[in-house]
Amino acid sequence: MTTPTTAPAGPRRTPRPVPGTPRPSAPRTRRSLGSTLVALLVLAVLLFPLYWMLNIALQPGESLAVTRWLPTSPGWDNFRRALSTQTDSLVTSLVVSLGAVVVCLALAAPAAYGLARLGLRGSRTIVFGTLITQMVPGIVIANALYSAYVDLHLVNSPIGLILADASLGLPFSIVLLRAFMVAIPKETVEAALVDGANRFTAFVRVVLPMSRNALITAGLFTFLFAWSDFMFALTLNTTDDVQPITLSMYEFMGAHVSDWGAVMATAVISAVPAAVLLVIAQKYVAAGVTGGSVK
Amino acid sequence: MQTARRRPPAPAALLTAAALVAVTGLTGCAAEPDPGVITVLNSATDIEHAQEQEFYDRCARRIGVKVRQISVPADQVAAKALRMASSHSLTDILDLDGSELPQFAATGGLVPLEEAGVAVTGMSAAAGTLGSYRGTQYGIARSVNSLALFYNADVLREAGVEPPTTWAELKATAKKLTRGSRYGMAFSATPNADGVYQFLPFFWSAGGDESRLDDGKGAPALRLWKDLVDQKSASGAVVTWNQQDIAEQFIGGRAAMMVNGPWNVPVLNEHKDLNWAVAPIPVPEAGRPPVPPIGGTVMTVPRTGDEDRQRTAAKIINCLNERRNQVDWGESRNNVPTRTSAAAEYTAKNPKLAAFAEEVETARSRTDRVGERWPVVSDALASAFQSVLTGRARPEAALAQAQAQAAADE
Amino acid sequence: MTTATTTVPAPPATTAGGRAGPGRRQALLRWGFVAPAVLYMLAFFGYPLVRNLTMSFQSYTPRTYFTGEAPFNGFENWRGVFDNPLFTNSLWHTLVFTAGSLLGQFTIGLALAVFFSRRFPLSGVVRAVLLLPWLVPMVVSAVVWRKLLDQDTGVLNSALTGLHLVSSPVPWLSSTGVALAATVLVNIWIGIPFNMVILYGGLQEIPRELYEAGALDGAGAWRTFRSITLPLLRPVVTVVLILGFMSTVKILDLILALTGGGPADSTQTLGTVTYQLSFQQMNFGQGAVVGNVLILVSAVFAVLYLRANRSDFGQGK
Repeated sequence: MTTPTTAPAGPRRTPRPVPGTPRPSAPRTRRSLGSTLVALLVLAVLLFPLYWMLNIALQPGESLAVTRWLPTSPGWDNFRRALSTQTDSLVTSLVVSLGAVVVCLALAAPAAYGLARLGLRGSRTIVFGTLITQMVPGIVIANALYSAYVDLHLVNSPIGLILADASLGLPFSIVLLRAFMVAIPKETVEAALVDGANRFTAFVRVVLPMSRNALITAGLFTFLFAWSDFMFALTLNTTDDVQPITLSMYEFMGAHVSDWGAVMATAVISAVPAAVLLVIAQKYVAAGVTGGSVK
Repeated sequence: MQTARRRPPAPAALLTAAALVAVTGLTGCAAEPDPGVITVLNSATDIEHAQEQEFYDRCARRIGVKVRQISVPADQVAAKALRMASSHSLTDILDLDGSELPQFAATGGLVPLEEAGVAVTGMSAAAGTLGSYRGTQYGIARSVNSLALFYNADVLREAGVEPPTTWAELKATAKKLTRGSRYGMAFSATPNADGVYQFLPFFWSAGGDESRLDDGKGAPALRLWKDLVDQKSASGAVVTWNQQDIAEQFIGGRAAMMVNGPWNVPVLNEHKDLNWAVAPIPVPEAGRPPVPPIGGTVMTVPRTGDEDRQRTAAKIINCLNERRNQVDWGESRNNVPTRTSAAAEYTAKNPKLAAFAEEVETARSRTDRVGERWPVVSDALASAFQSVLTGRARPEAALAQAQAQAAADE
Repeated sequence: MTTATTTVPAPPATTAGGRAGPGRRQALLRWGFVAPAVLYMLAFFGYPLVRNLTMSFQSYTPRTYFTGEAPFNGFENWRGVFDNPLFTNSLWHTLVFTAGSLLGQFTIGLALAVFFSRRFPLSGVVRAVLLLPWLVPMVVSAVVWRKLLDQDTGVLNSALTGLHLVSSPVPWLSSTGVALAATVLVNIWIGIPFNMVILYGGLQEIPRELYEAGALDGAGAWRTFRSITLPLLRPVVTVVLILGFMSTVKILDLILALTGGGPADSTQTLGTVTYQLSFQQMNFGQGAVVGNVLILVSAVFAVLYLRANRSDFGQGK
């Protein structure tokens, strides 16, 4: 199946291109400034709905029917009201999402390596099966899980939610990490094996460090999937004990029918932690995605 | 980088298995229901949660127990209750939307109120039908709501018109009040519970029958809605506006009149410059009584297999329905108490909402005729008004289609 | 369920350390890498799948939840679903919605990925910020969009009429002819960041020497794109499209929040119909049927696509 022309296989034969210089053309200042302008325009168009969200959040005491284009007299009232009720949920979301990342990576990394490198019979079927899992609608999963969770006493437990949320990122992580690990030179791992390490040690000492970027990417995406989960939070909890921000916001929305300002402020707040993470880890997002020779 | 040190094999499988065993082990202790705590499943999320708790605490203290509420969004209560039922962990009190009661009663999973020891005398007839299934009362409503015509009194005065009482007046008045970015009329026609709830007063006042949608009587109601949109007295966007959206339109001055319920009162009162009033929903011809729908949640006692707990639950429900508690409750929710004496006191205190109190006397329950088939009928009705409003079908054809849709599931 | 998640993972590990000979032991050890994930997926995806399948042959009503009785009723649920015109319509809507969404997300995502591959000031920052739409929970995005798209009060219509691009307000969500397109529009907006990020990552992996060689051959921008970029990007394209397809075809919350399937059922998809049957009408058997059809449609497309692009997919053995 290995075909030398496919992308992940290519780079290992060529020196690593300097990141961020895909085109050989000499940078011309005017052209690149023009590009910046275009980029900002694209940004403005695509982020407009989010601007609108912020705009509403910053206009205290207004009904949506008369929202102004600009928050000419911005106020933080909405944010204050939102924060006063949502802090616990933010913490819950953070704990659950991080937990899901840990579970997901602990399962996905060895599996991806096994599927990429260990020549197991049926690997292809498993990879295909992994993709197939994406077809099962969340609502079908949630329904079936609930009854199983009741028997396992996992309802209303953060651990139960973590395990379920990990499923949101697992298939993606396996596919991603596998594509990456396929491209790790066989020789490197074999060298470690000759040195006397067993497969697992070699995996931990050689493969994992080399896959650092892909692991971060997989972790990041899993975090985001878990952060925005609503279905599991709704179906696997019967009390308010474990209430992530998405669910809390949904209930907030239902109860404060006309307080759009506070609802939108909650939405803005809910996006902040993930946004911060995204900006911090930004370079990994693109770097790790396709696998290959990122060191 | 590499090390020559050989470690014992520790495959990931082992670690994961250990972790999972630990997880299930830790949480594996069975949770027996606490004898001193009565549980409730309801839709009182967020601030309502605390409001409800106050009333529960009042009653629980007297009986010497505690009450713990489990609250989920309204559209999730039924699904959650079913999941709980399947795991034999249903709460001692189940506070359901009235339209969902028949489905639960039909399962045999609810205790008839009489058997449970809940007193149901002194309540309005409408409240009785809301909690009944096939002649047996399974649920009791503390308060009920309905729909009426809210209007902006200032706008009507400026235009020199009175609130409409008949459909002809409604059309004329709405047209007159439509000016610039303001529509004369707003109603919700979303393809869900909101839109159907709003359609019913028109459908029923016209003589429509939800068990025989295609008998021709309901078609004029569809034509009225369509006319209001066609003559541009109501926005074409009503097919996407839920009841909350139309309240916003009304508050924002973009609708002079709206069909809505009393739960909007606190929000309306927040806007001091908004001079609103309430009138009954217009009827097809002068002299015909309006037939608004009755809505609200009903408290039921599920069969949990523990008769002691069922009895305690019944005591709490009885206490909540005492006159004093019903009046307080009705006022906190702007809904009309179901105990006749409480309703009278409520109306005296809230003259502005008298229209609602009168209405619930003649109001009809959605599940009265079709019982547990209501969800199917409701979907069929929604399809009918949506296809008429979007110009896909004529009223008669839409109702014939709706009847076919509803009957297919019988 | 209990045994699947708790006890089964252990045996490969313990036997590996025990009696087996070195070859067998090696094989088991290798499986030890994969087994936990496989077992997890069996529990969290396989089990629900099987359950849904059996449910579609059972009379599954609210009563079932109380009594535990769900008698088998053959193909009755299936007949009920296939006789329902709503089902056929929703199948069609689902295909239009999915194809439209993918086309838009992918084309715009690819264009942006190529664009951001050029070096210019602020490109990294802008790229990162562009991911924001993806971070906002879908429930919220849908609510914001519903406001933006409102026929009378929406900002989009005031902008369009203000600029004289349209003569009368567009009934984005309230006309049967436009609503499906509007939901596609919103879904494209949500999906662009994901497509862009992954395709951008793929572009970074293409060695620049190839472009240099192409430039020496005198290839223009379009030819370079056609003959170097696209072919080398194919494996990434496959992953993006497959993942995109599978998440789009089953979409539910976005449509529920935007249109609720209306107006006049013009935005009902298989996802919303499943929801409506199971959770509004409490007809869980028929709901399960539609769920199965959804999974089947998805599987058929995935198999066809993966067969056509076999080499991009199975580089492992």
